Amino acid sequence: MPITQDAVKTLSAQLYDWSLRRVPDDTKDALRRARATETHEGAQRVLEIMLGSAMRAEKEDRFVCSDAGVPVFRVTLGAEARWEGDIKAAIRDGFAELVDRIKPPLLKHVTNPLTNERGYFGKDMPLVTWEVESGVDWIEIACQPKALGSGRWAQAETFSFPSLAEIEAYVMKAVMQAGSQHCPPVIIGVGIGGSFDVAAKIASKATYRPIGSLNPEPVLAAMEERLLRAVNATGFGPMGTGGDTTALAVHVDYSSGHGYTPVAVCFNCWINRRTRARLHADGSVERME
Amino acid sequence: MSALFSGYRRVTMPLSREDARSLRAGDMVLLDGEITITAGLPTHHRILACAEAGRDPPIELRNGSLLHLGSYSQDTADGGLEVLYMNPTTSTRFNPIMPRLIRHFGLTAVGGKGGLDAACREAMAEVGCVYFSFLGGGAPLHSGAITAVRAVAWNDLVAHYRLVRLAVEGLGPVTVGIDAQGNSLFETLSEQAQDRMPEILAQLDRDRAAAVRPG
Repeated sequence: MPITQDAVKTLSAQLYDWSLRRVPDDTKDALRRARATETHEGAQRVLEIMLGSAMRAEKEDRFVCSDAGVPVFRVTLGAEARWEGDIKAAIRDGFAELVDRIKPPLLKHVTNPLTNERGYFGKDMPLVTWEVESGVDWIEIACQPKALGSGRWAQAETFSFPSLAEIEAYVMKAVMQAGSQHCPPVIIGVGIGGSFDVAAKIASKATYRPIGSLNPEPVLAAMEERLLRAVNATGFGPMGTGGDTTALAVHVDYSSGHGYTPVAVCFNCWINRRTRARLHADGSVERME
Repeated sequence: MSALFSGYRRVTMPLSREDARSLRAGDMVLLDGEITITAGLPTHHRILACAEAGRDPPIELRNGSLLHLGSYSQDTADGGLEVLYMNPTTSTRFNPIMPRLIRHFGLTAVGGKGGLDAACREAMAEVGCVYFSFLGGGAPLHSGAITAVRAVAWNDLVAHYRLVRLAVEGLGPVTVGIDAQGNSLFETLSEQAQDRMPEILAQLDRDRAAAVRPG
């Protein structure tokens, strides 16, 4: 049975809506662990207030942040998936219908970069990354709305045959530039290699990985661990007002490339908006988070 | 939830000059009273234009607060206004404009998230003004503290850009990020991180040397 245009439309809109109202469980757990180990008194309190805000959003079905950001999706098409209709239009239509019905209403965040005018719609919005996965027959849709804390501080730079030391120093440079401004503690995604666009895509995808999951590449697992210690040694702390907890996780991935090596670094703010679900061939919806 | 809010000093907004000068960077407080908010850069340009032309902005700012908070307000059935949600935005975007506004209106409190720069900090120390750091992702808490909408101006702008005056009770807790004595947590932490960076990078080198080598 082919996956329908309507199913994609409904699910993509739901994933955006859900992401606004709930901090993922792994993120709340990480905040609790940080609260237990944090030595800075003010930071302990800020972490408690964060958890209080997260719990209240769930209980009262409120938005965690007023900046709902712009809708950003990553769609993974199973190479053996069958679908009918225009699934690209489905995501656009799903968002348009959501804008009409969502309670409370969304603020206008979609911005024309040439005029800075803001509205609900614009060129190429929602922003979608399309991927193909071999050997599966589902379509997976992931949503990560992007606003200032979750988008503004990302950056990329291209090096020639960099050492790991140079790559890690660049990550720390990006952390210093974000400083107190990206609603820490953040989840940091690092993409190494490929081409310019591929590095950015890898970095962004890395932020979706659950906190606490082990990188299967031992070299990267070790890099993630030491970078997390390094970021937290800066002392910016929760909301950038001081403390031991500036990041909850650093996730690194790579792609082979030419030797000119782009390195991309991006951040997701502490509320870590992130939802994901799969549409299966039998018509069922499997919500992962 | 109530434990979250216990043990904090409460201050009345608009903040008196005396209260502003009594606060220290790192203090955490709850806010009661009236605040004026906007999250819009065009709004700041309009306020600046008022200051430069010697006109009053549509909502009085003199000796008051201007907080970088965005809100969604809508009309109610009885002809009033209600705010559905509110949250801070990144203040550093407004760095070039804030010193002029702080001095011209003699603001006692500014705020948002992420802090303001040294030029703002100097203007704040001159007039006796503090910066409150609000929790980003704190919309459920911040919104719950609003008791009334007093005024909304510049309705031609998108909702979060409008200049809005609100009555609040127990808004926060907020952290004093910059005090009126010229202490800024943001500058101190940034300098501290900069000072620590050689050792942080050296530690990365040691950890890397002890870890698995590529391929």
